[in-house]
Order: sequence, then C-alpha cells, then structure tokens
Amino acid sequence: MKRRIWLLSAAGAAGALIVGWGALPPRSRTGSGRLWPPAEDQVALNGWIKITADGSVVLAMARSEMGQGVHTALPMLVAEELDVPLSRVHLEQAGADSIYGNVAMLVAGLPFHPFELEERPFKVRAGEWVVRKLARELGINATGGSSSVADAWLVLRTAAATARASLLGAASLQWRLPVAEFTVSNGVISHPSGKSAHYGELARFAAATPPGSVTLKAREDWKVIGRNAARKDIPAKVDGTARFGLDVRLPGMLYAAIRLCPMLGGAPGAIDVNAALAMPGVERLVRLLPYAGSTAGFAVVGKSWWQCQQAAQAVPVDWHQRPAGALDSRQIARELEAALQGEDGFTFYEKGSVAQVEAGAARKLEALYRAPYLAHAALEPMNCTAQVRDGKVFLWVPTQVPQMGAAIAARVAGVAVEDVSVTVTLLGGGFGRRLEVDYIAQAVRVALECGGRPVQLIWSREEDTTHDFYRPMHVARLVAAVDAQGRPVSLRIRSAGDAISPRWLERGVPMLAGPVDTPDKTTAEGLFDLPYGFAHQHMSHVATRKSVPVGFWRSVGHSHNAFFSECFIDELALAVQQDPLALRRQLLRDAPRYLAVLELAAKQSGWGGKLPTGRARGIALHESFGSIVAQVVEVSLLDGRPRVHRVVCAIDCGTVVNPGIVAQQMESAVVFALTAALYGKVDIHDGVVQQKNFPDYPMLLQAQAPLVETHLVASTRPPGGVGEPGVPPLAPAVANAVFALTGTRLRSLPLVL
Amino acid sequence: MDISGGQPLAPGQPGTTGRFMELQINGQTVQVDADPAMPLLWVLRDLLNMTGTKFGCGVAACGACTVRVDGQAVRACVTPVATLAGRRIQTIEALGTPARPHALQRAWIAEQVPQCGYCQSGMLMAAAALLEKTPKPTDADIDAAMTNICRCGTYQRVRLAIKRAAGMGAARAPVKKRS
Repeated sequence: MKRRIWLLSAAGAAGALIVGWGALPPRSRTGSGRLWPPAEDQVALNGWIKITADGSVVLAMARSEMGQGVHTALPMLVAEELDVPLSRVHLEQAGADSIYGNVAMLVAGLPFHPFELEERPFKVRAGEWVVRKLARELGINATGGSSSVADAWLVLRTAAATARASLLGAASLQWRLPVAEFTVSNGVISHPSGKSAHYGELARFAAATPPGSVTLKAREDWKVIGRNAARKDIPAKVDGTARFGLDVRLPGMLYAAIRLCPMLGGAPGAIDVNAALAMPGVERLVRLLPYAGSTAGFAVVGKSWWQCQQAAQAVPVDWHQRPAGALDSRQIARELEAALQGEDGFTFYEKGSVAQVEAGAARKLEALYRAPYLAHAALEPMNCTAQVRDGKVFLWVPTQVPQMGAAIAARVAGVAVEDVSVTVTLLGGGFGRRLEVDYIAQAVRVALECGGRPVQLIWSREEDTTHDFYRPMHVARLVAAVDAQGRPVSLRIRSAGDAISPRWLERGVPMLAGPVDTPDKTTAEGLFDLPYGFAHQHMSHVATRKSVPVGFWRSVGHSHNAFFSECFIDELALAVQQDPLALRRQLLRDAPRYLAVLELAAKQSGWGGKLPTGRARGIALHESFGSIVAQVVEVSLLDGRPRVHRVVCAIDCGTVVNPGIVAQQMESAVVFALTAALYGKVDIHDGVVQQKNFPDYPMLLQAQAPLVETHLVASTRPPGGVGEPGVPPLAPAVANAVFALTGTRLRSLPLVL
Repeated sequence: MDISGGQPLAPGQPGTTGRFMELQINGQTVQVDADPAMPLLWVLRDLLNMTGTKFGCGVAACGACTVRVDGQAVRACVTPVATLAGRRIQTIEALGTPARPHALQRAWIAEQVPQCGYCQSGMLMAAAALLEKTPKPTDADIDAAMTNICRCGTYQRVRLAIKRAAGMGAARAPVKKRS
C-alpha cells in the first residue's frame, strides 16, 4: 500500500467520525471546577487548579511519576503562571474526564517526516487536526512517548493563568481597584495602597469571577521555567516513605503470587490444588485466563507473599504448549530475514528515484543489521492491589494507563467502568511495560474470589522476565549508492519485525483495533525520518506477526532503528574515506538544527583530539520524540568487552523546563541503552523465555557506569521529549567506537566481539 | 484513600505459625510469628508492614532489599529470619530521622540522586555500610561496595553523593547550557 493512499483513507475514516461529533460544542481543556470531588477548605477554579484556604495550590495530576520527573516539571508550569513557590503546589490525582487525556502522544503517532512537520503542508495540518480531535474525544490518560511536558505545555499554563486572572479579578472587584495596579508574588496579590490578600482569601470570590482575557507570561518574565528546581518527589525517596504499588497496605489485605505457563501462549491443564492448599498460610488457588495478551496460569492467595510464592512453585502442574505451536526466536530471526527478501512492505518515505540511481551507481554499499527481543526489567515487579466489594472495584496500581486499567477491570469484574476507582501509586520504573494491563486483570480476577477483601498480586522477577511484552526483534537491510565522484547519493532501507501499536490496541483499547492492521509508525521511526540529505531515499517496513507478545520499550522503534541507521552512516563514511563527523556535517547541510546539536557534542567531547592508548571515540546523532540528541562516547576494551568511560550528550529538546531533570534523563537513558547494547537479549526456545532473572539478564552496575555530561542547545521552540531521546544514539555510538578501536563492525545487538 | 493503614498479624491469629522470635529492629525489640525459613524481607514487608525495604529479584542480585545487620549490608530477600536472633537490624526507616537525616540522605537530596526511587532504600543502606567501614572511599571502594541495580541509571549521582556525604567535595552533576 502506498503511504498517500493510507493517509487519505485514515483521514476519511476519522473525518466520518468527526461529522458525528461536529454537533458537540468546542471545549477547551481548561475544564470546570466541577470535575473535582468536593473538598472542605478548597475551591476549584477549573479542572486543573484548586486553591486551599491557606493559599497553596493543588494541581490535578494526570501523569504517572516513574522517575522521569513529571511530578516536578508539571507543577513548575503552574508555579510559573500563578507566581507561587513550587513547594506550595501540591498534587492530587486527576479524575477520568477527557481534558486529562494525552493529546500530544497520539498526534506524535502520525508518520510524518520531521522536515514535513517543519514545512507544515496541508496533509500535516489536516492529519494533526484529525488526530487532535480524535485524541481529545477519546481522552486517553496515558504517560508515555516522552510527551507529558509537550502535552501540558499550553494546557497547564493556560489553566494556571486562567485561575490567576480570576483571582486578580476577584481582588479588583473586592477592592474596587484596577488589576493593572496589582503585583503578585508568592501567591499574594498586593496594591501600592497597602491592600493585600493571599490566594486562599480570594478563592471563593474568584470561583464566581470570570477570568476575562487570559494571557500567558512572556518568556522574558519567567522565574521558574528554565531553571533548576529540586524534584518534589525526592525527599520521600530517601527515607523509605515513598509509596510504590508494592507498598500499598490495607486492612485485611491478602497477597497473591502467580505462576504463568512457562511456554508463551500455553496454559495449565491439571493443577494439584490440594498440594497448594496444604501449605502454610495459603488460602486459595485461582486460575488465570490469558488476560490482555498475557499467558494463562494461576495465582495462589494467602497471608504473606512469600508463603504464596513457595506454594505456587511447589504445586504440580500439567502445562500445555501453545496450540498453534511453540515459539522460537531463532526461527523467527530466519523468518524476518526471509520477509526482507520476499516482501515489499509499506513505504513510509520516498524521495527521488532510488532504483534508477542504484542502477547507475559507481559503487553500492549494503549491510544487514539485527536486534533481538528485549525485556523491560523495571525494578519494581509487576503488581496490582485490587478489591471487589458491593459491585465496585478498587485498584491501587503503578500504571502508565489508569483508564485502560479501569476498562479491563470493569470487563473482568462485569461492572460498569464508572464503578471502578483507580489510585495510581508511584511507579518503580515503567519504560513502557506499565502501558500494559495484564497484571491488573489478574488482580481483579483474584479479588473476585476473596470475599471483598483486598488482595495484592505481585509477580516474581522470574515471571516479570519470562512474561513481558518484549521489544520486538527487528532486522534491516540498508543500501547506499555512491556516484563516480565518491558522493553518497541514495539510501534505501527495508526493515522487518512485528508492529506493536495494533497489538497494544487489541489488548487495551479493543474498540480502536481495526480488522486490519494500519501501518505502525513505531516500527519504522528512526529509519524513515532521517535528516540526512540523500537526494534519493526509499524507506519501507515489512510488518510481521510472530505471536511473541511485543510492547513499547523506552524509545520504541528508535531504540533499534538508530543502531541500524547510525552504524550504517559510519560504514558509509569509511566507504567514501571520510571522517564520520565530516560526512554527517556534509549530509546535514540543509538541517541546521541537527547540525548544531552534532557540532556541540563534537566540540564538548574534543572530537579528533588525542585519547589515551587503547581508547577510541564513536559518534551518533538521532531525533526522537521531538528532540535531537548527539552523543560522543569514549570506549576501551576490558576482557574483550566494550567499556564505556565517558558519554558527552548534546540535546536540543526545545524549551527546557528543568535543566537538572534533562541531565538526569540523559544519564538514565545512557545507562538504560548501554545495558541493552552490552547485555540485552531475550531468547525463546520451545516457547520458553530462557532468561529468568538478573543473573542471566544482567544490568549495568556502578562499576561499569560511564560519566555522562549533558549540554543543552538553547531554544525557544515548544518543549520536546526528554525521557526517551537519549536512548537511541548510544548503541550506535558505542558500536562506531568499537569499530574505530578494533576494525570490527558489529551489526547485531548486543555488541559482542 | 489511606494506603498505609494495615495491621500486622497478631500472634495467634489464623495463618500464624505459633513460632515466636524476637528481633532487634531499628533499636526496638519486635516479636514476630514467622516460619524460620521466611526471609527477613517478607517479615519486614508482610508481617510488620515496614515497606521501605523493597523486593526486586528474590535472589540477592539487585540489592533493593539491602538492610544492615550488625552494621553490615545484607540482602534481606535471601536471609532467613531464623539466622537473625539477637542481631541488630537496621532498615531505611531508621537511617535518619526527619529532624536529623543521615549525611547520606542529605547528600542524596543535594545531588538529586533518585529518579523512580525504587532501588534507593537499598542503595542508601549499602552506602551507609560502606561509609561506616571506609569513611573516605575511593572510586574503587565505591565500585566494589555498591553492587545494587538501579534501572534508572543514577550511578554517577550515587557516586557523587557518597563522596559528598564523606566530605570529599561536592561537585555537581555536570549540565551546561550553551550561551
């Protein structure tokens, strides 16, 4: 299918829906104070902002804190517009209204080239309008796609500025003085005459005062945005009081351990239930269906998780293999390579005439790259606490998708979604694994058997590793043509692997999963959207369906596609006898924003300068989630393995809200990506995931952690993402350094010499 | 809704074993009724509702469950409670107090170490054991003692914070803005 045709049909389908919704009045996302539950001593000024009697501010928090700093960055936007100290902005979990949905995340799913997004032709404007409208109506509250700040950027500042305007208006009416003569500082409105009042004293009156015209603060007046601020969540994370999902404690609470069929897609046959019930502390055993894309199994319920886990492990079970046959990652690898040869796939980007140029080329360079399945390995194992009582379901869960969790809980319990309440705890890591709802369904199923008592269902690390939704295996063939003058003139990439988005929709939002998969941008991102100025380009992807459960893994398609493309650019540099930095400069002549990031990383790293013997540098550049990151790594070999000493990151993520959090996320992304680059690999043999726990699915430790430096490119653009964009360039930068050091080109992940 | 209101099982309640043990936890004598093979982690978390100590792997590989026993860093997920009679157990809940936080806790805040935060109780307890034995640790000392997994990659700030707490300089994590 051609991209153009697909876009037209998608726009047409969405357009038909919009005609139906056209009668709805246009709604802003500021929302009304009625969206909050009533509270004493607090006045809600809109759907996001409440004022407490003491003058402090409460922000409706619609995003999950999983380490990325969102519980600090979003309050900073509100503190700015309301002129209150950050410490006076408190958080309360947002409700279920559609104003809290994440629009930016869905809009970013459109498969437009970044240059098209800059030029904004009609198809971009139309596509974005359609998806924005759709996202607004769906109102999916999700934390993912490095989109939280981008989504909140105008919405939260507008909500806060609207609240401020009403507060100023209230003071004006009470004092009969013009707003223009007021000053606001630390949540106190003052007039030169000596009159002053804090927000808490004006809030009730302000709730009945229309805001009038609302303007956002000018950039030059910012006092909070763009400056370092200590994270609000850190004090509780150093004294043990921070509450993760696993830390929920409720009166009468039971625990549950699970054991899923070791063969992906298999199921338990006979289970010796009495053997489990005979063990100390055990109360019952509950069979689990393959909820939300998971594998079937059972749960053991009892007084402590350890007793449940002992019993679950001891029970004799007759496991049945997946009816359609055992999955095997070696077989899948062969099938993906065959798919590359045999199928055209979907063309995500096309420019010029690659076939013609290749036919007349002086030289062609061709390479095959591979990336394995990967697990997320969030340090807090999957868990959910559920209680079903009097036809209502209560959930306490570390999740990136509370509404999807409520939806599946309602289906499993057979209640209306309005009868499900979700408390989102802190997340002990997410990385995309907590965009899934399998463990929520399991907890509800178990809670249905617990006579109204709450039950905390916890996965062991082994279950977490062997029943993940894995980053899909991908392969790619890259071909470049070089003309008689030695200039690279074309780039052709075809990749193959499973699409994630259609599978995720089937699991979590079945109403949106169509009968036929539409092309999934996440498969080809990082290949079809390259900034390099090849006159002729053709990028296509063959979407496969190999039945291994696949999911979004921090930076998604970019995580492997940047490895393919940025290593190949270095291969091309070698072929045309250019320095890797010099070739990139040449290919980025018409991409100044990318070039500036590249130059900053090169300069700060001392690219081209001397290094100690046995060390080499590697460079890579990649755009993802609206931000551009370049990394230069310094690598040596230790016991035949790459050892990364230093990573210089340059990032252009648009306007920076909190530079300290950007630096934290670069450090985090480097360690996450380096772990995968050096060790990450999930093998599936006879349906069974071979890696079980950290000893055989290792993580980078303190002793191997490089020193990471972060350099920010000043920008006035709206904010891009920061949680994921630091991941993609790391693996290719390391592989490129390994080549510089050894002359060996590693084309498969993980990087093993 | 309150998520911290659970009650520990009282001795003699259904589901208890009738086997009592005295433990010294955070300077207090605590009586628990547990299977002697039950690891300390689950005694703390499920019987005593002390949730600051975390579960990550169950095989002593990640260190999220690190506590101190007689001052030494110990991985509670593989330490049967029966081995701990008469020994001094310290958990994150007693590393410092709100009024008098431990030097490491102050350093952790100054260096803005935690991200998701899940591994940090274990990190802090391991660091506390390190500094008690080696008040001025070298980088190699830190590498050898700090074998906890942090999936968010806070390692370089952990190093800076340990050095800060040890009074060995207070370099900020590097972040620079191009003017």
